[in-house]
Amino acid sequence: MIEFKERSNTEKEIINVMNPLVKKWFFSRFKEFSLPQLYGIMEVHSRSNVLISAPTGATKTLTAFLSILNELVDSAEKGILEDKIYCVYISPLKALNYDIEVNLKEPLKQIEEIAGKKLGIKVAVRTGDTTPSERSKMLKNPPHILITTPESLAILLSTIKFRELLRNIEWCIVDEIHALADNKRGIHLSLSMERLQRLSQYICRVGLSATISPLQDVAKFLVGFENGKPRDCKIINVQFIKKMDLKVLSPVPDLINTSHEEMQDAMYSLIDKLIQDHKTTLIFTNTRAATERVVDHLKESFPKNYTENIGAHHGSLSKTHRHDVENKLREGKLKVVVSSTSLELGIDIGYIDLVILLGSPKSVARALQRCGRSGHKLHDISKGRIIVLNRDDLVECAVLLKSAIEEKIDKIHIPKNCLDVLAQQIYGIAIAQKIHINDLFSLIKKSYCFNDLKRVDFREVIDYLCGKYTSLEDRHIYAKIWHDEETGMIGRRGRLARVIYMTNIGTIPDETFVIVKVGEQTIGKIDEAFLEKMKRGDVFVLGGSIYEFLYSKGMVAYVSSSVNRPPTIPSWVSESLPLSFDLALEIGRFRRYMEEKFLKKQSKEEIIKFINNYLYVDVNGANAIFNYFQEQYFYAEIPSIKKLLVESYSDNKRKYCIFHSLYGRRVNDVLSRAVAFAISRVQHRDVEIGISDNGFYIASGKGINGVKALKILKSDKLELVLHMAIEKTEVLKRRFRHCATRALMILRNYNGRKMRVGRQQVSSMILMSAVKRISTNFSILKEARREVLQDLMDIENAKLILKQVEEKKIRVNQITTSIPSPFALNLVMQGHLDVMRMEDKMEFLRRMHQMTLAKIGLKHRME
Amino acid sequence: MESNLKIIDLGLLIKDQNILVLADFHIGYEEALNKQGILVPKFQFKDVIKRLGNIFSELKKIKIDKIIINGDIKHEFGRISEQEWRETLRLLDFLEKHCKEIILVKGNHDTILGPIAKKKKVSVVDYYFAGDVLIMHGHRIPNKNILKKAKTIIIGHEHPVVSLKEDIRTEKFKCFLKGKYKRKKLIVMPSFCLATEGTDILKEKPLSPFLEQDLRNFEVFVVADKVYDFGKLKNLNQPL
Repeated sequence: MIEFKERSNTEKEIINVMNPLVKKWFFSRFKEFSLPQLYGIMEVHSRSNVLISAPTGATKTLTAFLSILNELVDSAEKGILEDKIYCVYISPLKALNYDIEVNLKEPLKQIEEIAGKKLGIKVAVRTGDTTPSERSKMLKNPPHILITTPESLAILLSTIKFRELLRNIEWCIVDEIHALADNKRGIHLSLSMERLQRLSQYICRVGLSATISPLQDVAKFLVGFENGKPRDCKIINVQFIKKMDLKVLSPVPDLINTSHEEMQDAMYSLIDKLIQDHKTTLIFTNTRAATERVVDHLKESFPKNYTENIGAHHGSLSKTHRHDVENKLREGKLKVVVSSTSLELGIDIGYIDLVILLGSPKSVARALQRCGRSGHKLHDISKGRIIVLNRDDLVECAVLLKSAIEEKIDKIHIPKNCLDVLAQQIYGIAIAQKIHINDLFSLIKKSYCFNDLKRVDFREVIDYLCGKYTSLEDRHIYAKIWHDEETGMIGRRGRLARVIYMTNIGTIPDETFVIVKVGEQTIGKIDEAFLEKMKRGDVFVLGGSIYEFLYSKGMVAYVSSSVNRPPTIPSWVSESLPLSFDLALEIGRFRRYMEEKFLKKQSKEEIIKFINNYLYVDVNGANAIFNYFQEQYFYAEIPSIKKLLVESYSDNKRKYCIFHSLYGRRVNDVLSRAVAFAISRVQHRDVEIGISDNGFYIASGKGINGVKALKILKSDKLELVLHMAIEKTEVLKRRFRHCATRALMILRNYNGRKMRVGRQQVSSMILMSAVKRISTNFSILKEARREVLQDLMDIENAKLILKQVEEKKIRVNQITTSIPSPFALNLVMQGHLDVMRMEDKMEFLRRMHQMTLAKIGLKHRME
Repeated sequence: MESNLKIIDLGLLIKDQNILVLADFHIGYEEALNKQGILVPKFQFKDVIKRLGNIFSELKKIKIDKIIINGDIKHEFGRISEQEWRETLRLLDFLEKHCKEIILVKGNHDTILGPIAKKKKVSVVDYYFAGDVLIMHGHRIPNKNILKKAKTIIIGHEHPVVSLKEDIRTEKFKCFLKGKYKRKKLIVMPSFCLATEGTDILKEKPLSPFLEQDLRNFEVFVVADKVYDFGKLKNLNQPL
């Protein structure tokens, strides 16, 4: 049973089970047990599965480890400490692993000092960086506590000799589970945990998480299933024990009539003031590029304040640079550090007393995780300031703040039945041992992420791994496993199997960047998919400057900077953070309340008072929000959670149909493609799509009836429509590459060579068209579609919305405007573009040909 | 195209001599990918034979004397792989049925063609003259004496494609290019390698030294269900 632990244990109960040495050590360091400790220590001690959700600095790790240290010290004293691994600790970050090692070795040393003798308790880290000599040492002399990453664990599980050390393990700790449960690394780990439990039947699982929701699902993810039912797990929810001081700040009182330059100046002055008023500040931006920009700008604008005391920290920077910044932070040498996402997780970064978020963090959980990085100690107050730069951001962040204060956390999405991850793990299992197919199937179904896996999908993955998609004579090249239909047994195939598995394991795709150069000088990077859209002479924006595209060679794009034309292609918005669905609905709800006030003709004072009470914003903020909604109300009407507004407007070139569907980009991605598909079916033309968190638009040279198209769509047919709609998109191609790489159809490391990402992408296109010939439902292709629709997009909630439209729970209102309404403005300007390809390639060619002929007045000279 | 030349799908017919020119099959492409760790199943050969079949049925009454393969019949440099050996022989078997003689013009990937040529008794040459039409692969410029005798030069090697673009939609198509090289007519053939499209001449730097020149006045003939004359390359560069 999954249940919340409602009452904590008493200090006495805990002390009763403590070894005197550990007790003495603990109270020499701490005055008393923290709340998470009072709840958690006894559970770990009695080997009950437990999920502990608490903010950073809430002593989660010590809660998990205290019982284990207690047990080890006790056994050591009694001379019954076995030479085996007692505990496996897994975290997603290598850096965190080394922190944990230090944090365990230090107490052990102190306990030994108290004891006045060596206890011989060993702790070791095993990651991709562990040297071969360290590895063989570990085999001969296993640590009692093994600290590792999900990928290294999977390798250990397939290493014959090491597997022997993984029998009879007593605890498995998964740290930062919130950073794993919503992506394929976590899905991969969920299967590794089942593989581990197969070796150590009575293992106790301990999960540690920052703020996250829903905790029941995360608990199931942690513990998995036994006999078709979730294994028992206690949930300890102490998410809100830390006091929070959160505010939304606007650099200027008027967010609309301020020039870009003034806004920038005001923003940096505000940031500088906040930094100067605090000891150490951590700034989060939403992109890596912005991180660098903020550092440069602060140094430039305030050269006296920022010299050696400012640092940047993000994933593209070298490991040495990042370590340097982390060390300086711990030593208190930095006044401010700017990061994208890399400092979100629990690496020890010393004392931070202020967190600034530039732009909306897009989800309540993320806002709390980021702000929780300040005031590292449990009794400190976490102080966070969100700086907004436009009116949509202001409304969004104000509602986000309300949800955070009222403890409404947005739900995460845990992917299910990922066939690419499954293929990789089955390969790993087959490498470790021969296994019966039924046995394998039931092992896999123990993972929460594969609990409802269909037998036919499982069989398709087995067939893929057996190379059944190729002719018998070629099969030896493709087959990774064999499956004997008569005995039902499965085993590995090929003498390179182990090497291939070890060197290609993992779920994180390589990023495809193209380097942009002027002559021989590198000026930046662009996404490969962006290059796909460019042709010679196109003008685009990169890092604030304009360039003309000349030609590309391999993964390098050569450009010219001497260009004085406006951009011919819109700037590229890569897959940045999408607004969470739950938060989006909260904003929709606020819109509805606001509309009611205007409809009831309430006075400005009354409405501002309402905003002030409802949203916890200051007078400036309330005024700005009031003005924004009032403009929308007078000019058009206010869309809301119960009313989907569809706005038609045209400029001199094309007609736009704007849907004010505030459901977040993941849902809008689905809705927009479905509507565009319906429209293009009828009109038989490509239409352009723009998508943002607050809505989407469809544009075309011809008139569009968006409402009619929306009403044609049926929620129960949505999946089918989307399958057709995404078939030719760039995003499906890219995700197919990722899936093919995870399923080891593309080997990044092979024959001692590492494949370039560009090569992977080109090859994956060839692979995709080859696979489609075999079956349009080839398991890896099917997984790529699932990933696009369920993980990247959010088809489930899109269905929900569509159903509400069908049932008239959401009204659809139609208006026509001559210029976009205030709410539509940012959407039209910032929308991320794609195109719905309706015409097939040949029709497209014929039309382009006709246009060329007409344009240049060419005579038909073909024979 | 040219009174004596006719585009037949990806092939080029020299009418007065009943010669069919085909280029850049790159047989063994998938196996080369397999060796790099991309486990793409084999499909290209089947497609190539099917497409060749269509060409021969389009030619109908025209009896082909010679088929000239203008370089890179196989993909791997150096040694011949198993797939290359098997499929090259099968390709030559198929072509044999449709002509009297097959001539292989050497490409840069054809360093070791000897054993195959010997087994099938086909001749391997560096270039071939069909009257004043010079057929060569195009990975390097031949000496002046050879060039002097040619009025028209047909090359492969480049695998040209054009990307047609409207708004943000882009599609690539294989194409023939027609232009000039030192006041001689120059024809660049598309590749018969069906696994990949080729070099986007609107975007990428050309590979052949014959094309190290201003290409704006080159004419483009897109090959799809039929041949589409798109006029000069410079027109494609303008927004339509």
